[in-house]
Amino acid sequence: MDLGTMTAQLERLRSDALDAVATAADPAALDAAQLAFLGRKGAITELLRGIGRLPAEDRPRMGAVGNEVREAVEAAVSERSRDLRGAALIARLAAEAVDVTTPGRRIARGTRHPIAETIAAIDEVFGRFGFVVYEGPEVEDDVTNFQMLNIPADHPARDLWDTLYVDIPDHLLRTHTSPGQIRVMRETRPPIRALLPGRCFRYEAVDASHGFEFFQVEGLMVDEGTSLADLKGLLEEFGHALFGVGRATRFRPGYYPFTEPSVAFDVGCVVCDGSGCPACGRTGWMTILGAGMVHPVVLRNGGIDPERYQGFAFGMGVERIAMLRHGVHDLRLFMENDLRFLEQFR
Amino acid sequence: MRVPLSWLRDYVDVDVDLAVLAERLTLLGMEVEAIERWGAAWRSVVVGELLTVERHPRADRLSLTTVTIGSGEPLRIVCGATNIAPGQRVPVALPGAVLPGDRRIERTEKMGIASEGMLCSGDELQLTTDADGILILPPETPLGVDLSDLYGDIVLDVDVKPNRGDALSLIGLAREVSAVTGAPVRHPTVEIVETDPGVADRLRVIVDEPGLCTRFVGRWVTGVRVGPSPDLVQMRLRAAGMRPVSNVVDASNYVMLELGKPTHAFDARAVRDGTIVVRLARHGERLETLDHVVRELDPETLIIADPTGPIGIAGVMGGAGSEVADDTTDVIVESAIFDPVSIRRTGQRYALRSEASLRFEKGQDVPAARVGADRVASLIVAWSGGSVLRGRVDTDPREPGPSRVAFRPSRIERLLGTARAADEQRALLARVGVGTEVAPAGTPVVVAIGTDPLIVEPGVDTLVASVPTWRRDIVIEADVAEEIARVGGYDTVPTRTPETLMPSFRPSPLGVRDAVREALVGAGLTEVLTHALVSPRSAADFPWPDDAEIPSGEEPSGGTVITVRNPLSQQHSVLRQHLPASLLEILAANERHGAERVAIFEAGKGYAAEGGRAREWWRLAFLLAGPADPPAWNRPARPADLDDAKAVVELVAERLGLGRVAFTADRRGNPFHPGRAARVRAVLPESGGPRAVGLVTAPGDLALSGHVAELHPAVAAAWEVRAPRVLVAELAIAGLAGGSLAAPRARALPRFQSVERDLAVVVGDGVTAAAVLATAGRAAGDLLQDLRLFDVYQGAPLAPDERSLAIHLVLQAADRTLTDAEVDGVVATVTDALAAELGGRIRT
Repeated sequence: MDLGTMTAQLERLRSDALDAVATAADPAALDAAQLAFLGRKGAITELLRGIGRLPAEDRPRMGAVGNEVREAVEAAVSERSRDLRGAALIARLAAEAVDVTTPGRRIARGTRHPIAETIAAIDEVFGRFGFVVYEGPEVEDDVTNFQMLNIPADHPARDLWDTLYVDIPDHLLRTHTSPGQIRVMRETRPPIRALLPGRCFRYEAVDASHGFEFFQVEGLMVDEGTSLADLKGLLEEFGHALFGVGRATRFRPGYYPFTEPSVAFDVGCVVCDGSGCPACGRTGWMTILGAGMVHPVVLRNGGIDPERYQGFAFGMGVERIAMLRHGVHDLRLFMENDLRFLEQFR
Repeated sequence: MRVPLSWLRDYVDVDVDLAVLAERLTLLGMEVEAIERWGAAWRSVVVGELLTVERHPRADRLSLTTVTIGSGEPLRIVCGATNIAPGQRVPVALPGAVLPGDRRIERTEKMGIASEGMLCSGDELQLTTDADGILILPPETPLGVDLSDLYGDIVLDVDVKPNRGDALSLIGLAREVSAVTGAPVRHPTVEIVETDPGVADRLRVIVDEPGLCTRFVGRWVTGVRVGPSPDLVQMRLRAAGMRPVSNVVDASNYVMLELGKPTHAFDARAVRDGTIVVRLARHGERLETLDHVVRELDPETLIIADPTGPIGIAGVMGGAGSEVADDTTDVIVESAIFDPVSIRRTGQRYALRSEASLRFEKGQDVPAARVGADRVASLIVAWSGGSVLRGRVDTDPREPGPSRVAFRPSRIERLLGTARAADEQRALLARVGVGTEVAPAGTPVVVAIGTDPLIVEPGVDTLVASVPTWRRDIVIEADVAEEIARVGGYDTVPTRTPETLMPSFRPSPLGVRDAVREALVGAGLTEVLTHALVSPRSAADFPWPDDAEIPSGEEPSGGTVITVRNPLSQQHSVLRQHLPASLLEILAANERHGAERVAIFEAGKGYAAEGGRAREWWRLAFLLAGPADPPAWNRPARPADLDDAKAVVELVAERLGLGRVAFTADRRGNPFHPGRAARVRAVLPESGGPRAVGLVTAPGDLALSGHVAELHPAVAAAWEVRAPRVLVAELAIAGLAGGSLAAPRARALPRFQSVERDLAVVVGDGVTAAAVLATAGRAAGDLLQDLRLFDVYQGAPLAPDERSLAIHLVLQAADRTLTDAEVDGVVATVTDALAAELGGRIRT
């Protein structure tokens, strides 16, 4: 074969190869075409193997042409390959399209009980004022639940707490968190800022606003100068924190044997904002907690000198606060634990 | 206390607007809970005058009347009463009228004659108790006027606190009104015309128990004619919530409401020899009380007796045998002071509380015994005729003067946080009848009373308050402070944010509980709070085991069940020891509402008695039933099984930084599925922890224990649960009772590559996964970083009694990349150990 013939054949192969590459419909066809022309037994490879039989002076020239053809075909293959892969990707993406309007695959999430959540909210407010949490037993003795709190046996004020008694002598189910005051005073020294959340019990028929088991949060603050004015300021902040800044608050006399003076603390009705409605008995006010200056006898029972120290205590029903905050009208819902109710507090 | 406004006005002028009065009383501590319009139920009832009264032509028992109401044509009204006569003024219900009980009056025909309305009895108007006759109004009553304008009243319902027994009376509330308005209080004047003989000739009073009856004042009224009280009296009693009985009994009740002094009227005929003995009851004595219940008296009961036996329970209720009757002519009035505690206990023992006993329980003003006796005697004479025998029988005529309470205005200012000069404080006290003077030198101040009183030396500015006898609630300095704050108005107390010293930091005892709650909520479980009081059945029907070893610092469960002595119902009569039964009830209730997926938890207490004391312990319980995941269109529903429950336990352990949770089979059965129940244990790990704070601090200490199980189908069926499988767990956790979490300790990340190897070990089916993992872990030694089970296979080509467990080992050294030879060496050791200890072979 001479140079001319070989060159002509090479040019034909180039043309054939470029055609084959250009018309390869998919990566497999392209691979086949590449193999057919440039593989070890491919047509171009085979042809170029004949260079050695050309005259010596023609070999460099033919080699240069051969390389140029090989590189051209290789370039065409790789360009075609890019095109084909791009097309395949586009086709795959098109095939993978979904209806994006369907809802996601739901992730499980539970809810905290609204009473636990309300206790946490109360803790947070008083925590900012330096109150720390304590807890006490639920099966209390009569001495701590009543007598230490200035409520002797057969005191008429005992009518304020209908009590469930248990079969342990002189023990009962605590009727309030107030015995915690005594426990805290005996455990620590002033300055005291304590918060006592917990479960309480009363002999009380169940209705929309009463239960025989319920939760309270008690607060106690004792120091040398802690006054009724401090109590008033603190409770006003609390009222604003839970029921909105600017919520009207009211202090009026109340009665508890373990505080003197005693206080009932009202906030402006959360339903009518104070204009008067059935929810607030048309008074415009709702009582949310009882409080007062710790009775000197109680301080003394707690081992604290009532001449040097003074302080205040407050106690609130968590259910009542939760009902007002969340617009719940029936206290029984909290202990029924109907998931349809609980799941509203997500 | 129900306060008819018209009656209150007898004792104090009320010129302020009603709403203002109610609010100011409330702000004074006398909360007005309701303002009731008495007579609001009458509509279109007016005053008429009978013009003619004739017999009904067709009915003997009916009368045909004509009535004028002052304007228009006279009305023809048919009436069944016999006490009517021309010229009388009577209440006329016009057609369209409404009477109490929503009774509507229309034009009707009675025996052929049209009746244009109705004449009303006192009972029909609920003004008096007389149902037989028409209410005859005073002749000067203006014609045509609406009855509600004449007899309608406003009744304030005042919540009188237990310390203010003195305000359980109109005179007491008049004093409070006076404190608000400054109007003076008018005390009723008592005028008695006495006749011979002296009372001492007829009445003898012997008090055997002077400690329980400190004063007994007796009066004798002779020649009474028992009948109904004046209409006005009946109306007042009714408006105040009491039933009119007779002029004698009403006099006693009237004075109780007026002065707060309970008294009792005996028919003198029923008091043998005119001798009254105040003594304790004797064994076997019985008394029929006024409510016609025969009561066995016990020897702790203070009674009023005559020489033949009991005639009344002192301070609580009189006896039926000595009740004033229609033919009673002589009445003995008892006005006594009884021990409040004795009266209270008696009332509780007999479950018999009366208006009288409620007042006695709160203590009585000593002079009121004399005033009350005189007032009742004078009203009996005024309403039922007769006369009062000369003098009183009085077992202790001494009457104490005002009590003296020393106080320091400056100390009161410190307590209240106000700035009120001493003079201002004195002026406020004067408004409630408390006088003040400068204390004589050396007057001590009572800071606290009781078993451990505190009396301090006076300061320079000490004052003494002179407290009226009826204000038994003002005893110490703090009581004076409250009185000053109350009269001055709590609204005048300044508002201050506390600025005093802060207590030192104390970790919250809720730390561990809150961390666990958050982890579980994040994992899809919903928190519930259930009753601690449960049915005694629930423990028997759902016997949760007490045998788990408990992390130190936490209280073990088990012990004597605590029972409520006075339960509201059997359903809630004992304190629970375990939580899962409560969760099961919540599951059943929610299933009834259609819930399918229930994943709930509670952190709560168990309770037991031990040696006369109570023990309480905190536990975490959870329950899973129904689909493991929330329903989603793009995920097949898969029922929750034990592995889901175990994963919850592992999640809790992980949140607390504990080591691997070890599960061991618990085949006890009831209440568990015998093949699907596990004991649970996790300890503080060697590194990375401890996170839980409590008494558990050393690596290797038990930090979490309990049981996780599928419920036995029989237990689930007994609770009427529909879900085919219910998973329950109860866990004791270190720190649950009051611990908080420490910050996790970070470890350096490894600098060298780890090597991973998988091994499939074929073992007999009696060999547990836990055993394979434990053996492999032990054999792998210090280079082992992680070891996990990733597949379990049973079936061909394995023998029927064989399982293949595939485990994944991660090996790593801190100081070098491991060589193939080292890794192969570890794997060979593991393989040999599995073969030697468990008879396992490696599947290739």
